[in-house]
Amino acid sequence: MKINQVVMLAVGAFSLLAAAAGSGRADDAVKVGFSASKTGLFASASVTQSNAYELWAEQVNADGGLSVAGVKRPVQLVSYDDQSNPSMAAEIYEKLITSDKVDLLLSPFGTPNHFAVVPILERYKFPMVGSSAASVRLRELKPGNIWFPTSAFPDRMAVAIVQLLQAQNYKTAAILTVQLPFALELKKFLIPALDQAGIKVVASTDYPADIKDMTATLTTIKQAAPDAVIGLTFPADSLLYMQEAREIGITAPFQMLSVGPTYSFFQKRFGANANGIVMMGHWSPHQTAWPKAKPFFDAYVAKFHERPEYFDSALAYMSAEITTQAVARVGLDHDKLRQDISTQTFDTINGPVRFEGVENITTPTMLMQLQDGEAQIVWPKPVASAPFKPKGAWAD
Amino acid sequence: MNSILTVQLLVAALVLGALYSLIALGLNLIYGTMRLLNVAHGEVVMLGGYIAYGMSTQLGLNTAYALIPSMFVSALLGFATYEVVCRPLLKKEQLLARVEANSLIIFFGVSIALQNIAALAFTASPKSYRYLDQIVTIGGASFAAYRLFALGVAGAACIGCMLFFRFSRTGLAIRALLQQRTASALVGIEADRINRVVFALGFAMAGLAGCLVSLTEPISPFGGFSFTISAFVVIILGGLGNLLGSLLGGLILGAIEVYGVALTSSNWHSIIVYSVFVVMLLWRPQGLFTRRTT
Repeated sequence: MKINQVVMLAVGAFSLLAAAAGSGRADDAVKVGFSASKTGLFASASVTQSNAYELWAEQVNADGGLSVAGVKRPVQLVSYDDQSNPSMAAEIYEKLITSDKVDLLLSPFGTPNHFAVVPILERYKFPMVGSSAASVRLRELKPGNIWFPTSAFPDRMAVAIVQLLQAQNYKTAAILTVQLPFALELKKFLIPALDQAGIKVVASTDYPADIKDMTATLTTIKQAAPDAVIGLTFPADSLLYMQEAREIGITAPFQMLSVGPTYSFFQKRFGANANGIVMMGHWSPHQTAWPKAKPFFDAYVAKFHERPEYFDSALAYMSAEITTQAVARVGLDHDKLRQDISTQTFDTINGPVRFEGVENITTPTMLMQLQDGEAQIVWPKPVASAPFKPKGAWAD
Repeated sequence: MNSILTVQLLVAALVLGALYSLIALGLNLIYGTMRLLNVAHGEVVMLGGYIAYGMSTQLGLNTAYALIPSMFVSALLGFATYEVVCRPLLKKEQLLARVEANSLIIFFGVSIALQNIAALAFTASPKSYRYLDQIVTIGGASFAAYRLFALGVAGAACIGCMLFFRFSRTGLAIRALLQQRTASALVGIEADRINRVVFALGFAMAGLAGCLVSLTEPISPFGGFSFTISAFVVIILGGLGNLLGSLLGGLILGAIEVYGVALTSSNWHSIIVYSVFVVMLLWRPQGLFTRRTT
């Protein structure tokens, strides 16, 4: 082989490699920053959000990169542990903007961290789509640099619960509330809504998040024999409820555990006994009207070998989808991104999303139910993937 | 009143109390012999839980087979912790004067390290699994069999420990160290060797408790702290360094939590538990079962 043939081959190979790598060189990478609650109070819950971001970045890069106004560039995630500490989350977002000089931001985990980073977004006029935050106080935030894809605002969630109970003609309810901000806020709206609908609250009690036994509380509820037990729970106490409600024999046809049943461990632990449990959530892979929902579910399971959390994973992925679509249209300019996110409709795993102020105005507030091991949307009827079924007897 | 005197509540209080006793016994043993405040004790509980989870889900073994490995691995960790972290602390005269404060800071670091190692190894997602899930009826009350299993194992382990402290040579040496550290050296007790045993035993009990806790609640790297707090309440109730006091204190805390909620409501749970804690510190700082010394 002559020398010029070798040179030609080398040049050809180099060109092929460059083409295979697309236009995405590492120094061209779009830096996307976020804080993750890897330690502390939110650590167990926030991993489902970080997983969704990781999956999104992997999919985007596998597709040749993030389209920045038509030019594909690789995505590089930059993240730090905020230790579930809102003030640390604020410091991290400032560092991401000023020191790491990220191009885009994804949101931190949980309502307190969202509130903490909003002043930083305002100071630097940096737009960011939120995710796992839910509070009526979000509506008080100045629109412009943050938007919330969730439809699980506590006031609307309370109305949805009451509507579902009314549709089943249930007349009495017992409420169990974990002493954490979201659950307490939801309870504040739920009790008047039940009262207004003529549904009698026969028992209502709060308990600390680290409670180790609910026997006495659930015995009281069993004696009250309500049609509905509404547990405003978090994952650990939702498991405690399931264990002890089965022992004590709570047979209410409506049993709700607001947060917990969509975590992967829950169905592994309870199997068929989990069927019939109602929970919060507005995304399901079984809603065929959202063609992106099932592929997201399948990709998540393939990568992490467990199901996505139907609330936090879905919202995190939606926030990344919205950011992706806006960047594809207008690039990385903050003013243009702000304008685009505020006015356009986005095609997500949860169907179309459009914002008015900080709120998603297209996705209705929904309730879900575990049926044959799958989380189905059961309320409201127009978007339901399956009809509500009363909770059956516990298996021995 | 009839609603209070039920088998359901009694068994719930006993299960919770037995787990608290087992956890607090290990913590009190280490504190009593060396004045080391192991705030990483709850993380050892979680380690035991992960071993049981791993053996159940990865190896397909039932939890009964995980009891010994949980204790063994935790004991090894205790042994290593003593050799690497505590022995230097106890050897230096100038550090010995501030051993409680120093140990608090050191074990706080150990606690964070263990949490993060667990998060890296197992992810922070909560884990749970099924074992002895069938319902058993006793005296008209129904229980999941795993709760009775946890009660039986924790109870047997506590009684076994008390017999060990009462009748074995090493157990008697541990008690001697608990009562008179300086005098025990004069009668030939090798404190360094006993310290190693104490650490291994204390951690083993926490690991065993973790194995049982994994049956009743999801395990996660950051779930151990609440057990450390409960164990501190128990040893304040039973008396610092009082092993029998720990056992009884655990049962009392279990009863306070279950019957306190039954008599009031779960809204009062934390108020009742921490009021008892504060009252004990003010009224009987030496604990319910230790005589006040002047």
